[in-house]
Amino acid sequence: MPTISVSSARDVTESVKPPRSVFVNFPLGHTTGKAFDRELQMKIIKDAFDALRSINEPGTIIDLPYRWEDGDESWETEVERQMTGA
Amino acid sequence: MCPVKYIDLTRALFSAQGFPPYEWTVNETAPFTPFEKKLEECRVALLSTGGLYIRDKQPPFDPDRNDLTFREIPKEIDVTELAISHNNYDHTDADKDPNCVFPIERFRELEAEGYIGELAPVNYTIMGRIFRRTALQNEMAPEILRRLKEAGVDVFFLVPA
Repeated sequence: MPTISVSSARDVTESVKPPRSVFVNFPLGHTTGKAFDRELQMKIIKDAFDALRSINEPGTIIDLPYRWEDGDESWETEVERQMTGA
Repeated sequence: MCPVKYIDLTRALFSAQGFPPYEWTVNETAPFTPFEKKLEECRVALLSTGGLYIRDKQPPFDPDRNDLTFREIPKEIDVTELAISHNNYDHTDADKDPNCVFPIERFRELEAEGYIGELAPVNYTIMGRIFRRTALQNEMAPEILRRLKEAGVDVFFLVPA
C-alpha cells in the first residue's frame, strides 16, 4: 500500500523513516494546517500528494515552506521551555 | 532556527520524571511500495494519530498511553461530532477544527473537484504515545491494512499528529 505522511516532528520522522514524508514546521496539533484556514490546509495536502508522486527514494522527507508566524519562531522556544520546565 | 528536537527533549523529560530512557525507533531503511496509478483514479483513505473519536458513539481513547485500538470514521462524518482524547499535544485548535490533524473535509472537497478519485468510505484514527511497538506492528497495523485492502484502498494518507 503506497503511503504519504505529513509530519511536524522532523527528528522523529528522520528516525522512523516512513516511505515518503513532507515536513510542516508547525507546533504539534496543526500538522495539516491552522484551524479554519481552508486554503492552507488544502495547500499542505496537495503538496503531500505531489510528494507521493515525486519521491522515488525510500525514506525521503520534503520540507514544506510554510511558517507558523512570519519571521517569528518564538513558538519553538516556548515548546522547548515547556518541555524542559525551564 | 532548526526544527524542535523532540527526541532530545522527550529523553530529558522522561529522565527528569524518573522514567528509564525511552528507546526511540531507529529504522535504517524504509519500506517502499511504488505509486503507479493516477491519483484521480485512486481511492484514498486517511489516518490520523490525533486521538479523534465520534462523541457519544465511540469510546474515547486512553489519553495517556498504549491504546492499541482504532476508530473507524465514515467519510461523511460531520466534523462537529468529533472529539479528541489525547493528553500529549495541544489540541485546542483541533478541537475547534479537526481538519488541523484529520482533514476529512478537505478530502471530501478533493473528491468533489476530481483531484482524487474517491475518499474511502471508512477512515481511521488512532492514538499516539504507543510504546508497545511489537503489538502495534504485529496486531493493529496488519488489521488496519487488511481492512484497507478489503475496501479497495489505493493510497493511505497518514497524519502523525
